[in-house]
Amino acid sequence: MIIRLLSAALAAGFFAAVVVTGLELTLTSPLIVAAERFEQAEPSHQAARTLPIVLAHAGHDHAAPDTAPEWQPGAGLPRMAFTGLATLVGAVGYALLLGAAMLACGREPTPQVALAFAVAGFASVALAPGLGLPPELPGSEAAPLAVRQAWWVMTAASTAMGLYLIAVRRSLIAILGGVVLLIAPHVVGAPQAPEGASALPAALAAQFAARSLAISFVFWMLLGLGFSRAWLVFGRGTARGTAHG
Amino acid sequence: MTTSTLAPIAVGARASERPVAVALAAFLGLGLLFMVGFSPAIAFHNAAHDFRHTQNFPCH
Repeated sequence: MIIRLLSAALAAGFFAAVVVTGLELTLTSPLIVAAERFEQAEPSHQAARTLPIVLAHAGHDHAAPDTAPEWQPGAGLPRMAFTGLATLVGAVGYALLLGAAMLACGREPTPQVALAFAVAGFASVALAPGLGLPPELPGSEAAPLAVRQAWWVMTAASTAMGLYLIAVRRSLIAILGGVVLLIAPHVVGAPQAPEGASALPAALAAQFAARSLAISFVFWMLLGLGFSRAWLVFGRGTARGTAHG
Repeated sequence: MTTSTLAPIAVGARASERPVAVALAAFLGLGLLFMVGFSPAIAFHNAAHDFRHTQNFPCH
């Protein structure tokens, strides 16, 4: 079962990553690149307006060593390739969790079951965290990274647990607990971005948020469909093997 | 409560494999997702940058 689970997750992750990388490169990457132009344009405007004393302190000689040249993929094809690679690794990671969740709940990953779990996955890691922290373009104002990451992880875990209690456990007390878990992160509230004028056009940010959620949805549906299909394919050999053995 | 148990292949001597499979897959999955989604290493951040933004991982 271990090999079957890992193989199915690899295959489903690969399948979803191929399609979703295409969607990312055509729908969201151009918006990210456009937003980075605003991000890079901003400091130079500020630098032109600030006093020379401040400029001296902000100079690269005195700046922290972490502003030294950092490795990053070259523009164009290398960057696209790394986006694809990251999508593949992320997709296999999510596929592993999807498979683990279905097996842990004792459900056979048929297409219906896998799609239902995939919807829950989408709700847990895209929809619920997105309510508090909408998908962001580079250059938008935001709270400190560590705080946002903590809230993101807490919200995803709490939503997944809540959905499990409501959809799998189904007793009255479990449903009540599940509803509390679904709502709690939003009552606590996501870390708020500091008020400040961002140079980013709102239309660009809104379009990015919508596209990001749409891509996430497609991503999860493909993971669910792919996993159930691959589970079946990789199960044939195992079933035959145990029948003979 | 519905209890649609796993297909008969899981029943028997190999049923004990399930918790191991679940734990292994969960561990690997979380590890991969940490690497692409949360790792603070600059190289990982820059490589996975566009993926992180699109999949709504907190970035920057």
